Amino acid sequence: MATKKKRTPTVQHGSWVAIAADSTIDTQNHDSDPAFVRLRNPSTDAASLYMLSSGDVQLFEVKAFEEDFHSWFVGQTVQRDGRLLFVTPMDPLYLIMPYLIKYGKEEKFQPVDQVVMDEEFPACSRLLSCTRSLASLHHIAEEKAVGQQTFYRYSPEKTMNWLKKKVERTVGVLKARSVSVGGGVKSTTYIRVKSESGDEDYRRYAHGLISEYVSEDLSKELLKHLQLPELASPKETEPPSKKRKLSDKPVEAEEDYTKFNSADFTRKPPKKMTAAQKSLAKGDKTGMKTMSSFFSGQAQRLEGALHHFGQMDRVPLQPQSAARGPTLVLLLLLRGCGRRPLLLGVVRGTRNPQHPVGVEVVIGRAGGH
Amino acid sequence: MDLSPFDTDNSVSCRLASQIPDVCRTEDCCLGIDEAGRGPVLGPMVYGICFCPVSKKQELKESKVADSKTLTEAERENLFRALDEARSYIGWALQILSPNTISTSMLQRTKYNLNALSHDTAIGLVQYALDSGVQLKEVFVDTVGPAEKYEEKLSKLFPGIEVTVRPKADSLFPVVSAASICAKVARDRIVKGWKFAEDLEDVDADYGSGYPSDPKTKAWLLKYLDPVFGYPQFVRFSWSTAQTLMDSKGVTVHWDDEDEDGEKAAQRQNNKSMLAYFSASAGGNEQNPTRQTHRFFSERRLKSLDTL
Amino acid sequence: MSCNTRVTRVQVSSVGEAQRVPVHLMPCEIEHNGPAQVSKYLTATTKDCKLEKAVSFRGRGLKGQEISCPQGYTGLVLKEINKSSSDQEDRTLRVSSVFDKLTYWNLETPPNSDDSIVMAMDWPELAEAIHGPVED
Repeated sequence: MATKKKRTPTVQHGSWVAIAADSTIDTQNHDSDPAFVRLRNPSTDAASLYMLSSGDVQLFEVKAFEEDFHSWFVGQTVQRDGRLLFVTPMDPLYLIMPYLIKYGKEEKFQPVDQVVMDEEFPACSRLLSCTRSLASLHHIAEEKAVGQQTFYRYSPEKTMNWLKKKVERTVGVLKARSVSVGGGVKSTTYIRVKSESGDEDYRRYAHGLISEYVSEDLSKELLKHLQLPELASPKETEPPSKKRKLSDKPVEAEEDYTKFNSADFTRKPPKKMTAAQKSLAKGDKTGMKTMSSFFSGQAQRLEGALHHFGQMDRVPLQPQSAARGPTLVLLLLLRGCGRRPLLLGVVRGTRNPQHPVGVEVVIGRAGGH
Repeated sequence: MDLSPFDTDNSVSCRLASQIPDVCRTEDCCLGIDEAGRGPVLGPMVYGICFCPVSKKQELKESKVADSKTLTEAERENLFRALDEARSYIGWALQILSPNTISTSMLQRTKYNLNALSHDTAIGLVQYALDSGVQLKEVFVDTVGPAEKYEEKLSKLFPGIEVTVRPKADSLFPVVSAASICAKVARDRIVKGWKFAEDLEDVDADYGSGYPSDPKTKAWLLKYLDPVFGYPQFVRFSWSTAQTLMDSKGVTVHWDDEDEDGEKAAQRQNNKSMLAYFSASAGGNEQNPTRQTHRFFSERRLKSLDTL
Repeated sequence: MSCNTRVTRVQVSSVGEAQRVPVHLMPCEIEHNGPAQVSKYLTATTKDCKLEKAVSFRGRGLKGQEISCPQGYTGLVLKEINKSSSDQEDRTLRVSSVFDKLTYWNLETPPNSDDSIVMAMDWPELAEAIHGPVED
């Protein structure tokens, strides 16, 4: 085969594919066009890209979905840049807040237009034109009206309550959309390891999301306000089982792993338990706890690994469980490391009362030539 | 030979077969295997089997099917007609591997090379004959690879059948010649009447033999090169002739599994290596000491932009 | 930091003239920007199976599916007009085409709900939770 060519550096070609909220292209009563602007990102303190709608009435956030080795076909053209931009409505208060905090230290009530100013990001004053800005400032500041003018002073207490409401709202949507917030192995298409996420998992996850829009200090304060204990830094060496508080129920395979060949099962995971799983669910679980904690710790790491190595492939597997008699088999297969599939791990446990836990981990390559 | 099942979808692999002669279900039979169109960069590769009772070997020989490779197209057509007329005791089956099947197999993430593909196809056809009740006792195979290993492999797979694998078996055993004729006739007809699935107007059918060395084939490949898509599915993309032309005259395309191995790709993408997940700092923050993007976003490959 | 003052306007009026086009997210990097005979080669050879689509590109097998833009969202293809060489001048984009669904393709792997593009479509709804107005 011919020698592969090196990838040439990408040059922005002046073409983008985006998915944007309909309100961005609202053509009604626009006196000006919407525009992409650079503003100070409250989380990083550096520049990020946002969009202000026509007349600056609404703020949008711009995020890019980007996977390596992707391009677009658009109509009868090709676009090398395979990114997909998401333009979603954003709460302008997140961007206004850092300015109020900065001036809030002076303990003075001030007109907001004298506070929201930034030499580096002159467009920031336009944030005050957003319909929601002035109407919602009271969530993070105390107001004082003097004559026609309103003066503001940053309020940490109000802000915490406001952010707490944000977290609660987010928890609601996370639950409704069943976003996986726990440490279960979510990426694999073979077995979904169900780790029942508790309320704390959801709140912590939502806190993490809200933290993307506030400073690090505020994020820590919010954690306290939510009465969520700070997690030890993942850098510290700890037994994996203690790294994350997980439900202490045993981790159960949600799938019947004797049906690996079923083509549909990755799409709609059957919710029914097999007889074997039922008996496992009802049965003696002593000894299983150790195993489940082993699983959960390991699973988190594997999940991370799987996450970066991406795609799973459906490979017909013969369950070894029947022959060996274990009750739990966790098989993880990795694809995408070069061309050959990699069998990452086989973890088996037995439920024999004499030998309650028998776990085997195999890491090695399988298949391929 | 009715090729319409393949013509309706010439992007996949397709099996065509004659009726199984009754006598082949009751008498000991011999079977020959040969292929047509292994080398060309255009069109399908066709695997053929032909079988008849061992007792009819002499009659087969007399029909002059021997030395199929030296025959002209017209002679092959005539001989195929003769085989068809002997349908009371001669049966055949074909496996047509479309050029698209060949391309996608050979270029698969987990490579599936042409030899493995050929072996599996041959095995599949023998199994088909067995499943259809043909009383196989002898199998003769033409091969381009090492004969001994292949013979051993087939003998193990089909115990009780005497397997003979030989280079140029088509000139040695009439039943292999017969298989070769069936395969070659099918390939010729398919190439001649290729129906392009692409929406192309009046494709020049003057593509020569399909062998990369044929000037007509070369000229055709130059004429029908699309800078973005390369070629229609009629062309085997896995052939170096096609690859080289696309590399020099087409747009460069990169896939995530090319060249560099996973570890390197991960580094380039500023990802963590897999092994890092098993080390003590698993899940740690290796990039910037500042804040890490929440996993909701990293899992969804979403990131903030600082410029358009 | 002069580039922070630069804005990039989107000509909203261009939406009216923008054509609805099919869009495909390909699992490879095609080092080209420009015309491509997508319908002749790709669309014409695409097979619609029950749960997925199949096609090949450059001799490699692809599997894919069509997904819709989230509710309340429109797909836009933006193109810069009068591309300026200076990085200080304001820029202008127009909406050259629109789409309400897209087809994404995986290299050999059947599409499934864990594909990152499918998961990314969660974002608008989550964004609404994070950014929607909070009650008093």
